[in-house]
Amino acid sequence: MTIENKKGWIFWFNPFKYGTDRWMYALHRLTGIVLGLYLMAHVWETSNILNGPVTWNKIMVDLDYPFGVHYGPYILSAILIAASYHALNGIRLTIVENGLLLPKPYRPEFPYKPKSLKGLNNVLKLAVAIFMLVICGIGIVFIFTGAIV
Amino acid sequence: MRESQLMFLQYLTGLLVVVFGSFHFLLISVLSPSPDKILYAYSGTSGAHVLVGGTLFYSWVRAVYSSLIWGSVLELLLTFLVFHVFNGFRVVLSEIFPGTRADKIITYALVIVALVVFIWGSRTVVLALNGGF
Repeated sequence: MTIENKKGWIFWFNPFKYGTDRWMYALHRLTGIVLGLYLMAHVWETSNILNGPVTWNKIMVDLDYPFGVHYGPYILSAILIAASYHALNGIRLTIVENGLLLPKPYRPEFPYKPKSLKGLNNVLKLAVAIFMLVICGIGIVFIFTGAIV
Repeated sequence: MRESQLMFLQYLTGLLVVVFGSFHFLLISVLSPSPDKILYAYSGTSGAHVLVGGTLFYSWVRAVYSSLIWGSVLELLLTFLVFHVFNGFRVVLSEIFPGTRADKIITYALVIVALVVFIWGSRTVVLALNGGF
């Protein structure tokens, strides 16, 4: 059975009708794809450890100075932001999508706003934001200055 | 495997990646074997960019890879990540290209790519643990 995918992937990014859950879903996909591609590049990059110190150190410098400009810390910061978002939002999704920590079942009442998308979910979204700020703050300071807060 | 079992493994490997990924992040910062815990230390001359130390300097990275404990952590992280990433790609792609036939093509293609990434990464960990080239 073929179900047509009428709207296509571009409609991941039409969250205007839906709200924050939809935005977070779009960002979760986007960061997931970026991190997946980064994993492949990272596996290739680290495999150069077998090619001896000269090759390794040259590749590390080239990756810190792509096109001769010191972009390395910005790239690492972007990866850290993507990874921390994907990890923290993933923990939130594991809790919310599996129905953990939800209130007891109740009769549906008008206007049928599901409790599963209120309460705990909103608390967890706030927790994602707070932990992201902490982790990215510490991490980006470390990446740029080497200081461990 | 059934779709629900794969999704359960997706959640499970996701949580495991969070745990082992945290070790990986600590490894390049607080737990780094290099005396100065920075990522890159360059020699003083400006413009030349000669790496002289830091966590990503060759000998410190070798020190990490020759430790059995860190080798195991990296190998487990790689295993969980490869499953999580490529099952994620499979879900995304089969939503863009629906249908049984497309599903099969996507699955087999991604299994091959996943095996290549897994074997290439494991090769690095195992050979580096045994002393490298």
